[in-house]
Amino acid sequence: MNVLRIASAAIVGLLVSTSLSYAGPKVVSGPGADPTCFAPWSAETKYFQWEAKPGPYRIAVVNGYVGNTWRIQMIKTAKAFAEDPAIKDKIKEFKVVSTGTDAPAQLGAIEDFINQGFDAIVTIAVSPEGFDRVIRLADRENVVIVPFDNILDTDAVMMVNEDQLQMGRDWGNFVLKELAAKGKTSGKILEVRGLAGNSVDRDRSIGIHEVFDATPGPWEIVQVVGNWDDGTAQKVTADALAVHGTFDGVITQGGSTGTVQALLDAKHPFVPVGGEAENGFRKLVAAHSAEGLTGLSIGQSPGLVAISMKAAISALEGNVMPQLISVPLPSVDYTALKDGENFWTDLPDNFFTVNEFPPCGVNISGPAIMAQTEENVQ
Amino acid sequence: MSAVTATTPPRASALAMSIRQNRGFYGAVLLLAALYLVYNFIHPRGFSANVFIANTNESVALAFVAMAQAMTVIVGGLDLSVGAVMTLTSCIASELVRGEPWQIILGCLISVAAGTGFGLVNGLVIVYGRLQPIIATLATGAVAIGLALLIRPQPGGEVDLDLNWAVTNSIKDLAQTYHLFEDGEAGWLQPIAWVPVPLLILVIITAAVWIPFRRTVTGRTLYAIGSSEGAAYMSGLPINRAKLWAFTLAGFFAGCAGLYLAIQTGSGNADIPQAGAYTLNSIAAVVLGGISLLGGVGTVIGALIGALILRAISFYFRILSIDPLLQPLVEGVVLLAAVSLGAIRTLRVKNRLELFR
Repeated sequence: MNVLRIASAAIVGLLVSTSLSYAGPKVVSGPGADPTCFAPWSAETKYFQWEAKPGPYRIAVVNGYVGNTWRIQMIKTAKAFAEDPAIKDKIKEFKVVSTGTDAPAQLGAIEDFINQGFDAIVTIAVSPEGFDRVIRLADRENVVIVPFDNILDTDAVMMVNEDQLQMGRDWGNFVLKELAAKGKTSGKILEVRGLAGNSVDRDRSIGIHEVFDATPGPWEIVQVVGNWDDGTAQKVTADALAVHGTFDGVITQGGSTGTVQALLDAKHPFVPVGGEAENGFRKLVAAHSAEGLTGLSIGQSPGLVAISMKAAISALEGNVMPQLISVPLPSVDYTALKDGENFWTDLPDNFFTVNEFPPCGVNISGPAIMAQTEENVQ
Repeated sequence: MSAVTATTPPRASALAMSIRQNRGFYGAVLLLAALYLVYNFIHPRGFSANVFIANTNESVALAFVAMAQAMTVIVGGLDLSVGAVMTLTSCIASELVRGEPWQIILGCLISVAAGTGFGLVNGLVIVYGRLQPIIATLATGAVAIGLALLIRPQPGGEVDLDLNWAVTNSIKDLAQTYHLFEDGEAGWLQPIAWVPVPLLILVIITAAVWIPFRRTVTGRTLYAIGSSEGAAYMSGLPINRAKLWAFTLAGFFAGCAGLYLAIQTGSGNADIPQAGAYTLNSIAAVVLGGISLLGGVGTVIGALIGALILRAISFYFRILSIDPLLQPLVEGVVLLAAVSLGAIRTLRVKNRLELFR
């Protein structure tokens, strides 16, 4: 990760060159608190410790883009988790804002919460770069910033994520394995990408390409941009099918239901598909896996927000925390799909099946959140 | 009071005249003042330099993009490429604004020049290609995003961090960073030491570019074109030259936005949704700032105020507890209300011709 190295070098340079003295976390040695929930990314992950602050705390969630199901489910999870008896008493004030895909607005919102005297700010970064200033301000005021999902190219803050690179590799390996079982070792793959300019999109794509490039192939990988959105993914997949005819395998980063729907609509032969964890995708794979629609569903969970909130509180209490917290990939292939357990035929297509993380005490399941909304509507 | 002005119209004060002619603009100023004052009263650390600095920082890029949009709206056009040009210049700046001081300065100049050049190309396509601005800039905007992605396929860049710290803070911090004016301790500097550098940049660029330009024949021609292009042509005004200038200056302001964005975030990011959001918001800011979308009415300063209003509305979500999923709805309703305020006088006119005064 060249970018990562440069960014961390820049941060170190900043720390050395600055004349201001500021606090921020101390780098300490592990292991950290509650390692089953806050697992370090790798053996090299360093550990942070902030000065313990007395609770209860003021916590803000600064979301960027809003307008897809994942983000909405994430916001609902955050609100539900803030009311969870396990942490309710530790939170004095809880705010959620969405700034849209606008880096200055997001930085401004984070800075505003620092100015307001919030103790922790949980955020999905709009851009993996550009947080130097707010990190510096947060460190000065002893505020814990926790980027999750779209994390930053820096090791100066505590972050929570699933390994996107590994997710890409898992999809790639699954499709390779399924094709090898059919005797195919070369061919044409459709890759449906996410939001451009985003670190999750970038890392997943790198993982996918890494795996295919490592085999003799040759593989032709056609990329289209589906923005992690069912409608967009369906349209771009249909376009790709119109131009390229048939593909030997498909990997879709998100909007997976739309991608598969486009394959069905075009009467494309069933092929192995690697995709996200939308309920609709899992329904379609469960229905058609016998006909050859073998699928691997790996989800980026909206429940990550709850783990991030929990990590922020743990850090504020003065516990030793890993700088980069790895949440295990919730991965299910077509052989392990079970209605009512990891997908729900009676629930809408566009909700995300993975939401809970029992080792972390995050027990807000997707169906529970859906049920809550329905009650509110009635 | 009204009786006095009614009986002595020729001697009405210049301010009263200005207010009557620029109702939209003064209304916007009042709205901004009210929004921002209330925000500061509610904010736990309101009226502090830190809050002011954070707010101005957040607003600069949008303000510049809105000013860019205003240039083209005044001539009765619309520029759908402003957000894309901002993104392009921020990507260029993320590659160039680093190293020795002279390299940094050169990098800044090249970035702004790139934006300006792109604006000139827009102008040439529109004036000599005789295309509708909205279609031409839709196309050139896509070109700008394409170039931005070419320069920076992945987000990144190492913009000089001292510069990042200096221009996103107060004048005092700027002086401290570069050891100017006795490290910011000089006595004469103290009264203005708290002023945010981003605000200073906005004021200087507006004062140095827009105000002198408006007084030229070309500057006045913009308004003539926006009001009635046919009449402006029959009056022998330099229409082509004025349009070229309008789009070139739009490129210049968008370039300034991109440069500031790159310095502020220390990086470049060819973020397509962000470019689109800025273009749309620039149009909203222009309307809020009292500029008529039909052209011929309003100023670039109005667009600046409009951008600040747009930002000030979003500040409220951080201090009030509004359901996060309702925020876009609330923002939209407030925006609609603000825009409608500007149109309220249409309900009171007795003679419809008065609307065109």
